[in-house]
Amino acid sequence: MKDLPQTVFVVDDDDAVRDSLRLLLKSAGLSCESYASAPEFLAGYDPSQPGCLVLDVRMPGMSGLDMQQELTLRGATIPVIFITGHGDIPMAVEAMQHGAFDFLQKPFRDQELLDRVQRALARDTEYRARLRHTDRIRERLATLSPREREVLDLVTQGKANKMVAGDLGVSQRTVEIHRAHVMQKMEAGSLAELVRMMMAVAPRT
Amino acid sequence: MRAMGGPSSDVLALLEATFDAAVIMDDRGRITAFNRSAEEMFGYRAADALGRNVSMLMTSADRASHDDHVRRYLAGGEARILGKGRDVRVRHRDGSEFSVFLSVGRIPNTEPPRFVGYLHDTSLRRKALATLEHERQLNRLYLDLAQVMLVATNRAGLVQLVNQRALRVLMVDDAHIMNCNWVESCVAPDDRAVARNAFRALLMSGGDEPQSCEYHVRSSDGEDRFITWRGVALRDANNVATGVMLSGEDITDQRRAENEAHRALERMNNVSRLATMGEMAAGISHELNQPLAAIANYAQACARLLRLPAPDMPEISGALEQISGQALRAGEIIRRIRSLVRNEDVRRELQDINELIREVHTLLASDARVHDGKLELDLSPSLPRVTVDGVQIQQVLMNLVHNAFEAQSTDKVSYRGSGAAYGNGELDEPGRAAGNGATFEVRIATRPTEAGDIEVSVSDLGPGLVGEVEQRIFEPFFTTKPTGTGLGLAISRSIIKAHDARLGYRANEPRGACFFFVLPAQMETPR
Repeated sequence: MKDLPQTVFVVDDDDAVRDSLRLLLKSAGLSCESYASAPEFLAGYDPSQPGCLVLDVRMPGMSGLDMQQELTLRGATIPVIFITGHGDIPMAVEAMQHGAFDFLQKPFRDQELLDRVQRALARDTEYRARLRHTDRIRERLATLSPREREVLDLVTQGKANKMVAGDLGVSQRTVEIHRAHVMQKMEAGSLAELVRMMMAVAPRT
Repeated sequence: MRAMGGPSSDVLALLEATFDAAVIMDDRGRITAFNRSAEEMFGYRAADALGRNVSMLMTSADRASHDDHVRRYLAGGEARILGKGRDVRVRHRDGSEFSVFLSVGRIPNTEPPRFVGYLHDTSLRRKALATLEHERQLNRLYLDLAQVMLVATNRAGLVQLVNQRALRVLMVDDAHIMNCNWVESCVAPDDRAVARNAFRALLMSGGDEPQSCEYHVRSSDGEDRFITWRGVALRDANNVATGVMLSGEDITDQRRAENEAHRALERMNNVSRLATMGEMAAGISHELNQPLAAIANYAQACARLLRLPAPDMPEISGALEQISGQALRAGEIIRRIRSLVRNEDVRRELQDINELIREVHTLLASDARVHDGKLELDLSPSLPRVTVDGVQIQQVLMNLVHNAFEAQSTDKVSYRGSGAAYGNGELDEPGRAAGNGATFEVRIATRPTEAGDIEVSVSDLGPGLVGEVEQRIFEPFFTTKPTGTGLGLAISRSIIKAHDARLGYRANEPRGACFFFVLPAQMETPR
């Protein structure tokens, strides 16, 4: 699956700051969309669109923090870089505690911003790739028959075919056939790869 | 009258006729005659008294000395009492003692001598005297119990009476102050002229109305106390002023407390101003950061764009314009803040508000032309004058008028692209653009309020304030204008507040915004 182009979303109520950020990102060859308020951004935001967010902490109406919380509620995973004035450091700290990717104090060097933006975009790419990978594993798992799923669970626990046959009350030959189907459907080249796949989709505890 | 051994019947008749008690004694002090009045006065019957020594009529204190007096006289010495008389204490039969006036004379041609004593009962007089003394003490008590200082002087200003309270304040005893010149010895040197004038005015005053004045007295340890006085002239039977009576209240501590309270209030105002400044400083640093951040971003973007093989020149040129614009914006913020700080130095004068408005009319009219609008004055004639800093009030008016025009214009030069300077973008109505025939009108009006004060209002026909904007319009740094600093209204409000008035907002009829303030009318004495 081919990646959609990445976009840097800028949300800042200050026209000059917003426009200058747009130009700076553009000069670095980045694609940028800018919004003057949080509601304006949220109204048109599609979470499947890859990229990162450059967000002003202090905005009238819905603040940057409010918007971050709203995104979390919506299950959006887009990395957020907060930009703040001098007085907003405590707010920035709070934003970091709520999972912001990074924050920058105004005014800043272009390279500081661009480095952070690049890292945030890489994080987004990586995260989306991981998401796609686990999605694919789940899709394959869904094609297994109940018996095949049982065989998969037992072999990934490290049990030999003979033991699996005993546990399920079937012949060793039957287990071998199910196991071959499992490897084929899961597109796994080895038992080790199969184990890694299961770990990737295992619910985190 | 019973007599022993010899007074003639003439003498006896004489003794019997007096109201006073009469007692005759011989050279050894034995009673030889005792008249009826003596019987009544002492409770003895004459028969019982005769032959006994007169010392039985005396108090124990007088007995011993009486015999001495008689002996000394008989020995040819001085006659201490004869012909003179004196107050003595005597003793009733029942043991009670009382005062009499005793006069003694030697009966002529008696040898050895006999003496007659007349005893005049003075206890009634004494009682009256005692009452007088009691009243005097009571008066003294009244004087001394009084929480106010009481001082009486004679015509010459010499102290004749002074109560305990006054002595305590002055920290002297009355021996040091009686008959001293009140003003010269008790009043603080700087206040003596005031005190002398008050004293003279009192003496010359015709009526009994107390007169008030205030001056410092100086205590013996050199401390000055501030006293508020009420004085009346004392008059004799002919209504001639004989002196003055002053009642004074020491208000030093009260004054001090008042001054302290005043200073505390000032300190509080300073603190609150500092707190406001502290609050503002956070806002200021944030506000200055915005243009600075934009400038940095634009400049850095330009540098990058210029390194590209085919630089986007229109973009670069736009960015450079923005850089200068943002630098000016930062400068404007700093300028506004400085003018905010300058507010403390207020020079107020009695002014005609209409005149102040007319003075800035020319300036404001040019603002109107820039916005293709019209400025109307609706000034109520013959308003009372107001005490204001004219320049500051004019600044407020210029700010309000400028805002009003901006609110109505749809100045598309702004990169926000919103025309409503007060409202947000949604309020923008394309139909009200300057180009399609609409005229902008701003009206400055003055009118007297019901309370007799003066309301000054600036109204427009723009979109007015809606929702959150109305709540926040006076907050420092709150702005709806693309290039606004958010300080104009905040500063205007602080100026108006410094004039003990309030800058308020109400919706204008039939539409638009109306900012107004009410200045207290000055009570004027006719010139």
